Amino acid sequence: MIESLVLIVPLAWRNLLRNRRRSLITFIVVIIGMYSILFFNSLLNAWAQSTRNATLDLMTGSAQIHARGYLNDPTIAHVMPFPGTTLQHILSAPGVTWAARVRVPAIVQSEYKLLPVTLTGVMPAQEMKISTIPHAIVEGQYLANPSDNGIIIGRHLAQRLKTRVGKHVIVMSQSRDGANQEQSYTVEGLFAGNKAAEDDFIFTGLATAQHMLNLGGNISEISFKSSDAQLPSVIATLQKADPSLDVRSWQSLSPFTAATDQFMHGFTLIWSIIMFVLMAIGIVNTQLMTVIERVREFGLLRAIGMKPALILLQVIVESCLLTGAGVIAGAAGCVVTIQQLHNGIDLSFLARGAEFFGAGHVLYLHVIFQQVLVFTLLVWSFGVLVTLWPAVKAAHANPVEAMNHAA
Amino acid sequence: MRRDQNADGASIIVSCRDISKTYPGAVPVRALNGVDISIRRGDFASLAGPSGSGKTTLLNMIGGLDRPSNGHVLIDNDDLVQLNNNELTGLRLHKIGFVFQAYNLIPVLSALENVEFILRLQNVPARQRRERSMKALADVGLSGMEARRPGHLSGGQQQRVAVARALVARPAIVLADEPTANLDSKSAEELIDLMDQLNQTAGMTFLIGTHDPRVINRTRRHIAMTDGRITADEYRH
Repeated sequence: MIESLVLIVPLAWRNLLRNRRRSLITFIVVIIGMYSILFFNSLLNAWAQSTRNATLDLMTGSAQIHARGYLNDPTIAHVMPFPGTTLQHILSAPGVTWAARVRVPAIVQSEYKLLPVTLTGVMPAQEMKISTIPHAIVEGQYLANPSDNGIIIGRHLAQRLKTRVGKHVIVMSQSRDGANQEQSYTVEGLFAGNKAAEDDFIFTGLATAQHMLNLGGNISEISFKSSDAQLPSVIATLQKADPSLDVRSWQSLSPFTAATDQFMHGFTLIWSIIMFVLMAIGIVNTQLMTVIERVREFGLLRAIGMKPALILLQVIVESCLLTGAGVIAGAAGCVVTIQQLHNGIDLSFLARGAEFFGAGHVLYLHVIFQQVLVFTLLVWSFGVLVTLWPAVKAAHANPVEAMNHAA
Repeated sequence: MRRDQNADGASIIVSCRDISKTYPGAVPVRALNGVDISIRRGDFASLAGPSGSGKTTLLNMIGGLDRPSNGHVLIDNDDLVQLNNNELTGLRLHKIGFVFQAYNLIPVLSALENVEFILRLQNVPARQRRERSMKALADVGLSGMEARRPGHLSGGQQQRVAVARALVARPAIVLADEPTANLDSKSAEELIDLMDQLNQTAGMTFLIGTHDPRVINRTRRHIAMTDGRITADEYRH
């Protein structure tokens, strides 16, 4: 085999250089195809990630813990104690961040208007780690601590209530004993997010909300974040630690986001297949030409005593060298491009469109080396595979007929 | 008398026994019709006849490039009809040298590499390979042109490289199909001289399919074909 390769490889290399234009075209087709598959795959993955994060980073997190029944009836009736030592230990694992909240339906009233909202009592320091809202204050400031008795409302809600930072609003909700409670809050800050979030959520300190609603130390939910890989085991451990609690992943909490995520992955796959097919057509075309144009030559090689297997090997080696070089160049080019874009692609020029699709303004592309490897091998193998049929035909052609073949 | 010897004791390299070849089609074409012929070691023979007489078909049968519809072709007592494709390929590699009308050199290899290529297929050691190829090129008068690729050689020179390639493997017979057809007069004369010389000095056996009178007049055996049959076969001294 090695002797055959020593004979064939230099011959194959020279054959590639013999028709430089065609080799160059094939090389470029493979580069563009490989680059496009990897780059757009990465871009669409980043888009999917951004869309997902834009939703999950708002409030949901990677998963949430509630008292059983809360998700069907998210009111003051279904609360749970602040996490004890065991849960806190699990939630303090490396890579996991969490925050406890009180979250109840409420009504907010200004001197002009009265609107339904969700009152959320938060631990500001923890909230900073898992939610984007504390970082989205556009006027005033965020809450200082769990006992802060100010309130943060959305910018759009403020417009609807005709209120502003420094003014007072009344928040009404039902306390644990069933009594209606109301409390006056000073608007401390306005946050900007998506319109639905701006209209729906108002935030105060956790202790302040607990006091107003007569909850004692109880809370409505714990939201936590972890890596995708880590998430299932964290959920399982939490559920095992306290089976009375309802621990759910973001897919279960936000089915629309999960469906969108799945759709994006499906779209990415379809895109990759389309690019792959386009590139395949280019490769098949040029490789077929390469073989058909040289039928006479293969006939000669057969006539002077070259075995069909060696002719087949020659065509495969040519394809291997050409496709391999294109695949590697395309993959390398894409990796370099993505690394150059480490600051992200700023989509603010189409911010409204991006927002419509739920994505952030900046997309962060990542090189997934496993993906690069898989696509590299896939495209390379395919490039070689498509030459097999014409190569087998050429290798087994009758020498006389082959040599009489019009060039 | 041995099977591979004829009546006057010369060893027979090629023996065609009643071979026929019919190409199928809407109107089947009978290219060879009961051909019986033997080629002896050392023959310098021309196979002449008008176009369509069956010269090339017969050369293809003898060269193991095609199979007869009927009859037997024996090369050094190997019956080509009995051999499978791989065995035929091996036989072509080791026992037959080809010179084609269109030179048919490998365009990406130099003259030396073209000649050497046959020996590489035969797994001849590198040093021996190089020495034999250089000598073969020297024998055909192409010393100093070893590194040139076919595109940088004249037609005559390319045909000389093809002859060197045919000879270097020391085949039992060299089959040449219209070797002078694409050459100018001077190159054609030189090629004929070269083949004659190789026959006389090295004892190389040649069977040359041609209708070039210059070739026919120089060969010492003349075989004539018409309509797929041998119509004349004579030695001239």
